[in-house]
Amino acid sequence: MALLLTLLLPSVSVPIIYMLGKKSDKIAALAVALVSIADLSLLLTTVSTVLTYGKHVESYYWIPMLGSEFTLFVDGVSLSMAIVTLILIVAAAIYSINYMEEKTALSGYYALLSLLTIGLVGVFITSNLLVFYFCWELMLVPTYFIIGGWGYKEPYRAAFKFFIFTHAGAVFVLLSIGAVYMLTGNLDMFQAQTLLMTASPDVVKWVLASFTLGFAVKMAIVPVHMWLPDAHSEAPAPMSALLSGVIIEAGAYAIFRVSLSTVFPSIAASAFATQFLHVLMVFGVLSAFYGAFTSLVENDIKRIVAYSSISHMGYVLFGLSLFPFSVNGVAYGSVEGVVGTVLHLVNHAVSKGLLFLVAGSIMRQTGVRDIRKMGGLAGKMPLTTISSALAVFSIAGVPPLACFISEFLIFVGGVQASGSDSFYFWSTFLMLVATVFSLAYVLRFFLKVFLQSLKIKEVKEASVFMTIAMIALAVLVLILGVWPRFFMDLINSVSFG
Amino acid sequence: MTWLLPCSPWLVWIIPSLASLFVPLAAKINGKIRDYFVISASLLTVVFAVSMVPDVYFGTTQIVTDVTVPWVPVPGGQAGVLVDPLSTLFANLIAFLGFIVLVYSLGYMAHKEGLTRYYFLMLLFIGAMIGLVMADNFLLMFVFWEVVGLCSYALVSFWYKRPEACNAGIKVFLMTRVGDICLLAAIIILYVNLHTFSFRTIINLVQEGKVALPILSLASFLTLIGAIAKSAQLPLHTWLYGAMEAPTSVSCLLHGATMVKGGVYLIARTLIIFYTVPMWLTTVAWIGVITAVIGATLALETPDIKGVPAYSTISQIGFMFAALGASSSPQSPGWFASLFHLLSHACFQGLGFLAIGSIVHQLGTRDMRKMGGLRRSMPITFALCLVVILARSGIPPFCGFFSKGLIASTIWSTGDCVLVFLIYAAAALTFAYSLRFLVITFAGEESDYVRKVHVHEAPALMIASSSVLAVLCVILGFFEPFLIRFMHVPLEFNMGSFMSLESLMFLVVLFIGGFPIYLVYIRKSLSADKLRKGILSPIGKVLENGYYFDFVYDSFLVTSVIKPSRGLHQYVEVAGLERLPYLIAGGAMHLAQGVYNYVDGFLDRMCYLVADHTMIVAKGTHKHLETFLDELCYIFAGKAMFHGSRIKKMHTGALPHFVVAAVLGFFILCILLLLTMSW
Repeated sequence: MALLLTLLLPSVSVPIIYMLGKKSDKIAALAVALVSIADLSLLLTTVSTVLTYGKHVESYYWIPMLGSEFTLFVDGVSLSMAIVTLILIVAAAIYSINYMEEKTALSGYYALLSLLTIGLVGVFITSNLLVFYFCWELMLVPTYFIIGGWGYKEPYRAAFKFFIFTHAGAVFVLLSIGAVYMLTGNLDMFQAQTLLMTASPDVVKWVLASFTLGFAVKMAIVPVHMWLPDAHSEAPAPMSALLSGVIIEAGAYAIFRVSLSTVFPSIAASAFATQFLHVLMVFGVLSAFYGAFTSLVENDIKRIVAYSSISHMGYVLFGLSLFPFSVNGVAYGSVEGVVGTVLHLVNHAVSKGLLFLVAGSIMRQTGVRDIRKMGGLAGKMPLTTISSALAVFSIAGVPPLACFISEFLIFVGGVQASGSDSFYFWSTFLMLVATVFSLAYVLRFFLKVFLQSLKIKEVKEASVFMTIAMIALAVLVLILGVWPRFFMDLINSVSFG
Repeated sequence: MTWLLPCSPWLVWIIPSLASLFVPLAAKINGKIRDYFVISASLLTVVFAVSMVPDVYFGTTQIVTDVTVPWVPVPGGQAGVLVDPLSTLFANLIAFLGFIVLVYSLGYMAHKEGLTRYYFLMLLFIGAMIGLVMADNFLLMFVFWEVVGLCSYALVSFWYKRPEACNAGIKVFLMTRVGDICLLAAIIILYVNLHTFSFRTIINLVQEGKVALPILSLASFLTLIGAIAKSAQLPLHTWLYGAMEAPTSVSCLLHGATMVKGGVYLIARTLIIFYTVPMWLTTVAWIGVITAVIGATLALETPDIKGVPAYSTISQIGFMFAALGASSSPQSPGWFASLFHLLSHACFQGLGFLAIGSIVHQLGTRDMRKMGGLRRSMPITFALCLVVILARSGIPPFCGFFSKGLIASTIWSTGDCVLVFLIYAAAALTFAYSLRFLVITFAGEESDYVRKVHVHEAPALMIASSSVLAVLCVILGFFEPFLIRFMHVPLEFNMGSFMSLESLMFLVVLFIGGFPIYLVYIRKSLSADKLRKGILSPIGKVLENGYYFDFVYDSFLVTSVIKPSRGLHQYVEVAGLERLPYLIAGGAMHLAQGVYNYVDGFLDRMCYLVADHTMIVAKGTHKHLETFLDELCYIFAGKAMFHGSRIKKMHTGALPHFVVAAVLGFFILCILLLLTMSW
C-alpha cells in the first residue's frame, strides 16, 4: 500500500492545496512540503524491505484489455531517486514561500507543484511501461504551466520549447512502448525483459535506439540539449531546481531502467551492444566538455548552472555506458561504474538543486542576472555564500562533498571497463580532464558573484525560508559527501546487468 | 606499556577538523572566546600528536591501529589510520607549527575583517593536513589532499576583495588540480588492479611481485605529477608565488607544514611502492635538482620581500625531492635526509615568514626596493632574519647545515657529477639570495620610505611565537641522532662526518655564492642596476618573467581553452544550436503559413469555384433549359391543341367513323393476337 499511497496522497491534495492557496500562499506551500514529507516517510517504510529483498512490489488490477496491471515497484535505484526527488520538492516548496512572494495566483502554482509530485515520483516507482509513460507526460504538463506562468522574460517561449522538445522525445518513447507491447504482449518491464530475449535482435535494436533517443532528449544530451538552457534559466528558481535535479535525471534513470535494464540484455550478445554503449560514451564525453566549455564563458548566472547540468549529464551518460554485461564469459562494463552513476544522479540532484536555489536567491536579492555586474556578495549574503560554496565545490567534485565519491566511482568504473574494452581508458582520462574544467567554471562563477569588490550596494541576505531551504540542502551535500553509505547501500542492493 | 592516548591517531585530525565547524558558534559568543577556543583546540591537537611519539620511538618500525571504520561501501573502502615514523613526524610538525602560527595570528591578524572565517579555515587546514598524513589508504588520503587544496584556495583568496588575491587563489586551485587528477588516476589504476586502497596491502602486493610493471610505472609517474603540483616543483611551480597574496601567517603554515609539504610526504610514503620502477627515482632527483637551481635563481632576482621565501621554498623542496630521488631504497639515508631537511625547512622558513610578516605588517609594502636599514628600528626581527638565513644557507651549527650536509652526501653517493654540481650550485645560490635579502632590507641607511612610516618592533605575541622557531633552528641539528632513532633508519650518526672534506667543500661553495652579493650589495663595487641592464640583461629578463612558465601557461590557456570556449559558446551554442530549434520552428511555421495561404486558399477557392460554376451552370441550365422546356411545352401544347382540334373534328359523333375505328381496332387486335400466338 505504501507506494500506492505515495501516489494517491499528492493527487488527493491537489484540490485541497488549491483551495488552501486561495486563503494563504504560505499555508499552501507548507501543505505541499508536508505532503511531500508524508510521501517521503511512506517511501522510507519500504527501505528495509528493499535492503533485505532487493525490491518492493505492489500490483493492482488495471486495464485488462492490455493485459496490464498497475504495478508499483521500487528497488534500491528507484527508491534513491524517489527519495531525493521528494527532498528537493520539500526544499522547493519551502523556498517558494519567500521566493514567490511577489507573484500572483500562487494557489495554482502550489497545486501544480503538488500535481508535479505525482509525475516526478511516479516515474521512479513503477515497473509498468504504460504507467511510466503516463507519469512521464504528467511531469511535462505542470512544468510547462509553471515555467510559462511564473517564469522570467518570455516564459511561454521557453516553456513552449521545453514542451515541444520533450514531447518530441516522448513520441519516440511511446512508439517504443508500442513496439515492446507488440513484441511481447506485455507492458511490465521485467516480464518484457525476459520475453524480449526471444525477439529478433534486429527489431529490438531499433526499439533500444528509439527509447534511448527519446530519453536522451529529456536528459538534454548534446546535441538535443537546446531546450535546457532556456527552460532552466527562465523557470522560477524552485522549478529550475526540480528541472535540473529531477526531470533531466528522470531521463537518465529511464535510460538505465528501460533502455539498459529492460531492452539492452536481449541484444547484449550482438555486436550492436558495444556500438550502442560506445555511442553513449562518446555523447557523454562530448556533453561533459560542451557543458563545461560553455559554462566557462557564459555570463548569465542561471545559464551557467544550466550548462553545468549538461556537463554533468555527460558524466552520467558516460557512466551509463559502463553498463555491465557479459558475452561468452568475458565481462564488459563495470558494476562500480553504474553504482557511481546512480549515486551521481542523487548527489548531482541535491548539489545542482541547491545551486539553482542559490542562483535564484541572488537574482531575487540583486535584481541582476549578469554575473559581470555582480561581485563581492560574500560580505552581504554570508549564508547564501556558504551554501553556494558547498554547492559549487560539490559540482566540481571536490571531496568531501557529495559529487566527489560518485564521480570517483564512475572513473573507477571507466578504468575497470577498459580492461575488456581499451576504448574506455582514454575516455576515462578525458573525463578526468573535464573535472579540471568543472573546477575552472565554478571558480569563475564563485569569483564573479561572491568575491572581489562589491558592485551592488543595496543587497540583503536572502529571506528566512529561502535560507532555510538552502542551508538544509547544503548540510545534505556535506553529509552525502562525508557519509555516502545510505544511498550507496540502497544502490548496492540492486544486482546490475 | 603504551604512551598512546586512546584513539589519538584518530583524534589528532578529528579534533581540529570538527573544532573548525564550531568556530562560527564560538564567534557568536564573542571574539575572545573564539580565539581561546581555537588555541585550545590546536593545543589539544599538539598533545595528541606528541602522545604518539614515544610509541614510535621505542616501538618497531610500524604500529598500526587496526581499527578501521566502514566508510565507502566498495571493497577496501574502509577508513583507517596509520601510525608509523613518517606519519607521526608529519603530524607533530603540522600540529606544532599550526599551534605556533595560530598564536602568532592572534597578534598578526588582530582587528582584521573575517577572522571567524580565518580561524575556521586554519583549523580545517591543520586538521585536513594531519588527516592526509595519518590516512592508511589512498582514498582517504586523497580526500584530505583535496580538502587541503580547498583550504589553501580559500586562504589564499582570504582578502577576497582584492582581485589579485582571488586570481591567485584560482591559480592555486586549478594548477594543483592538474596534479590532483593525475594522482586520482594513479589511485584508480592501482585500485582497479589491486582492489585495495590500503598502503600496507599495496606494499605487500608489490613486494610479492604481484603487480605488473606497466601498471606500477603508470601509477608511479602519475603520482609523481600529483606530488609535483602540490609541492610546487617544476614545471607546475608558478602557483606558489601567487599564493603570497595570502596573509603571511597562512603562507607560513602553507610553506612550513601543510600543502606544499604534501608532495614530499606523498613521495616519501610511496617510495617503498614505486622505487623499483625504472627511471622513477632518477626523474624525482632530476626534477628536484633542477627546481632547486631555478627556484634559487628566481629568489635572487625578485624585488618582492615575500617572493624570496616563496621561491626559496620551491628551491628547498627541490632539495628534498633530490634527496628522495637519490635514495636507492625506502628508509635509506636519502629518505631520511629529505625528511630531516623538511623539518629544518619548516623551522627556518616558518620563522622567515613570521619575521617577514612583521616587516610587512609594519611597513605596509612588499617591495624590497623601498626598504633598507631596518636593523635599527626592528632589531629583534633583524636577529630572527639572521637566524633564518644562516639556517637556510646551511652555516654550522644551524639546522640547515646538518640536513643539507646529509642531502649533499646522499647526492654524492649517486655518483652523478651533474647532479652534484647542480645541487652545490643551488646551495651557493641559496646563500646568495639569502644574503641579498638581508642586506637590502636591514643593512645600510634607512630608506626614505622607512623613515616616512613609523616602524616599531612587532608585538610581543608575534615575537614570542617566532622566537620558539628561532630556537629550534639553532638546536634542531643536534637532535639528528634522536630523529634517526625515531625514524628507524639504519644510519650511523657521528659528528665526525660533518668535519669531512664534503662539508668543507660545502662551505667553500657557500662562500663562492656569497661573494658576488658581497661585491654588489655591500662593497657596492658593482652596481646591481648596471649589471641588470648591462651584461646580465638577457638573464635578468628571463628571470623577471619567471622563465616564461606563466607566459606559456597563460597563452596556452587562452588559445586552447578560453578562445575555443568563446567560439563554441558564441557560434555553436548561441548562434547555432540555440537558434536551431527556433529556426526549425520558424521553418515549420512558414511551411504551415504557406500551406494555409496557398493550399488551403486554393482548396477554399476551389470550393467557391466549383460552387460558382455549378451555380453558373445551374443558372445557364435554368435559363436555357427552362426556356427550351417552356418552348417545348408550348410547342407540345400548341401541337396538342392543333391535333386536339383535329381529333375534335374526328369526334364528330358520326357512327361510321366509330365503326371504322372499332373494326380497325379489332383488326389490329387480331393481328396482335395472331402475331403473339405461337403456332
